[in-house]
Amino acid sequence: MNPPSLPNPPTRHAACAIWSNPIFRRYCQARLRPRGVGMALLLTLLFAGFIVALASSFGVRGHLSPADAARNGIIPLLVMQGVLLFVLGTAQVAGGMTAERDEQVIDYQRLIPMSPLAKVLGYLFGLPVREYAMVGVTLPFTAWCLWRGQVAWDVWLPLYAIVMSSTLLYHFTGLLTGTVVRNRRWAFLASIGLVFCLYTIIPQMAKFGLVFFKYLTITPVFEECLPGLLPESAGALVKASQRLLPTVKFFNLDFSEAWFSGFSQGGLILTFVVMLCRKWRRTESHLLGKLWATGFFIWIQILLLGNALPLIEPGSLFPSRGLTRLAPFMLEWKPQPAEALLMAGIYGLVTLILIFVLGGIITPSADHQLRGWRRARKHGAAALPPLADAATAYGWVVIMGLAGAVGWFLFTRALVGSHWFPGHTVPWSTLGVFAAVMLSSGGAFQALLEAKGGRSVALTGILVAVLPLMAGAVLSAVSGMLASAAWVLGISPLSLPFFAVGSLLSIAELPEAVVHAVPQAFYCWLGIWVGGALWLSWRLWIARNLHKRTGGGT
Amino acid sequence: MFEPPSKLHDGPAAAIDIRCLRVDYGTFCAVDDLSLRVPPGEVFGLVGPNGAGKTSTFRVLATLMEPTYGEVMLDGVDALEDLPAARRVMGYMPDLAALPSDLKVGEFLEFHAAAYGLGSRSQRRERVAECLEEVALSEHARSWCKELSRGQMQRVVLAKTLLHRPRVLILDEPASGLDPLARRDLRNALRKLASTGATIFISSHILGELAEMCSSLCVMNRGRLLASGTAEEVRCQLGNTQRTLTATLLSRHDEAAAWLQSQPAVHDLRLTGAQWVFGFSGSDEAQADLLDGLIRRGVRLCAFEEKRSSFEDILVDVAATNRRP
Repeated sequence: MNPPSLPNPPTRHAACAIWSNPIFRRYCQARLRPRGVGMALLLTLLFAGFIVALASSFGVRGHLSPADAARNGIIPLLVMQGVLLFVLGTAQVAGGMTAERDEQVIDYQRLIPMSPLAKVLGYLFGLPVREYAMVGVTLPFTAWCLWRGQVAWDVWLPLYAIVMSSTLLYHFTGLLTGTVVRNRRWAFLASIGLVFCLYTIIPQMAKFGLVFFKYLTITPVFEECLPGLLPESAGALVKASQRLLPTVKFFNLDFSEAWFSGFSQGGLILTFVVMLCRKWRRTESHLLGKLWATGFFIWIQILLLGNALPLIEPGSLFPSRGLTRLAPFMLEWKPQPAEALLMAGIYGLVTLILIFVLGGIITPSADHQLRGWRRARKHGAAALPPLADAATAYGWVVIMGLAGAVGWFLFTRALVGSHWFPGHTVPWSTLGVFAAVMLSSGGAFQALLEAKGGRSVALTGILVAVLPLMAGAVLSAVSGMLASAAWVLGISPLSLPFFAVGSLLSIAELPEAVVHAVPQAFYCWLGIWVGGALWLSWRLWIARNLHKRTGGGT
Repeated sequence: MFEPPSKLHDGPAAAIDIRCLRVDYGTFCAVDDLSLRVPPGEVFGLVGPNGAGKTSTFRVLATLMEPTYGEVMLDGVDALEDLPAARRVMGYMPDLAALPSDLKVGEFLEFHAAAYGLGSRSQRRERVAECLEEVALSEHARSWCKELSRGQMQRVVLAKTLLHRPRVLILDEPASGLDPLARRDLRNALRKLASTGATIFISSHILGELAEMCSSLCVMNRGRLLASGTAEEVRCQLGNTQRTLTATLLSRHDEAAAWLQSQPAVHDLRLTGAQWVFGFSGSDEAQADLLDGLIRRGVRLCAFEEKRSSFEDILVDVAATNRRP
């Protein structure tokens, strides 16, 4: 047995040197064994060959030129690559990460003297390495289609660059899910669910004014590149219709779809990297620090506004504009006040949900708070450092609430004050009411979460936020009960943004049955929410003072 | 040798230096102001019933858990501040050590050797072979981890723990789940390691085993340190000086019995065949005087045996205290 000598001088594995990353190589070894990977590669090869052969033969049968016939195979191949990378790869990343914990080997990896970033990147590229290999097998077919189809490099390069950045984004989503969710099956389902949301549900927000969300997918770049990927005649048709599509604007700046998608996805990827590195550094850490979470929230607000505001004057932001684009001869298009109200309401709701999510991330659990106070007391400190994980997140949620109210107000003001609705303006006093909506809902949520924990918030959420929506929906279906339905719906904090815009904006054209009920219910419930939030905040303040005095009960 | 907390800041650097360590889970205090100092080269045992706070202490030492407060120095490195450096000087083996199912033994060890940056590929392979030899598993280098027995898995994880030649080894119940044969192999491996001068901090339920292997021990219960020192010192500190003496007499039974009963340290005297069995709560000196007294009184003794409480008995006592409300 060798005597214990001095440990080797620190050998830091450079995070960017993926090929020499031990975690990456460990997964290459495990997931690229000939017996396991051989069948997968063979099947992929056969399927990719079949797709290209079939698409080309259809082209030949349809008397297309050889170039057009070859182009027929590009999109099916892209779909196949998307399924391999986005679906199978993401599920593998989430499931593999959870398996590490299930097999109780994750602690060994925590002890390895590698930087958190190197560990994150090792897992990110290592876990789905078989899926990368499978996509690699399809690439010669893609290359043949692009070459034979004479597709210009400035068409396919941005598309594949965004495919890669989207892959990273989804794999980071899977990695984060696998790191946070403890059950392997749940991690798998949650990651697939998140990718589904990111790809299908969240981009729908773009139709209601939150344009930024669509740049989290490859769709905008794909649409931009589509004419160059299709056979010439079909491509020309698509290109003609695209002339009517708006270009990407960010305030007064113009970007290409690819650059803006890369920029948007890059921001989210960076946030995921920060979250994962924090978790690898300390298991007990919150996913985001308080400052980062607040900055991230403000950044999202800037992106939402930056994308939306320039599209108001040309009218491209309104949902009904999308329909008329398909029928360009309808020259007398004009947005309806109802859709502006809906868009303003959705903006408020999304902002509120974002506050809940980020507030939840940065809020310390009761256990965490106790430990923080005990530590502070031991070190003779009178208060916790404001940025510490164990410190209250209340102030930060208030900042987010105020920033959210400002963003919501600016969006609503630009929408209603645009030339589409002459004679209408949004007074500054509306900002105060918007702030009351954000602060009462956010403050009540935060105070309850900090004082009573997530279980109480979930139960209260079901009873106070979801149940009134369901009951209100049922009531509204009964004839003559619209006013009652409005009162019941107004209880939910999720309906407050819609009630706010319905009550405050001059463009609101409410049905006769609820013209009085909506504003009355809004002010009544808003008052109750403000009172409730103040009471919960006061209770929280008392509880925290008790902790402060007793140092967590020691 | 264990040094009491009062001497914490004196003397040469300790291999393990824990100061005022506290670990809480909500309102439950798992480790309560634990302070201890283990000099380099010691084999130090940590003993205690389930829930005593052993695993929490070990996880803090292994940098896997943040304590509520306290300080932990491993070989002069602050284990709560400089995690990478602490991880380099320390090797941690968790209880019921697991292995990944998708790797072979050699691959698993080579991965860790690479992660610790142990030289070139050939140097790493050499080191892996050395460690496998140390735990007597050389012939299993190409076996799948999932095909190993419990004992073999424990030894593979021990080999992994030794790879980077840590100066401080933290072994949490390394013998749990092992059969007697595997336990013996593991004990031999640890003995060999201890002979090289590494500091070993080990926990176990099997006190006899620890007493045999460790130069010092400490006993924990309900997060607090109850006793520490050599096995004998621990026994004394826990107030467990009880022993049972058996005197086999050839003559003068009545006289011997009367004299023994008059001795204050003697109790529960009873006759079993030709043997007088009794409890004795005096010191070793008093015990020698007792034997001398019997001989002076002309009692012919053909045997005089002593039986002390085993460490298992001590742990049972401690555990019973743990269960008391």
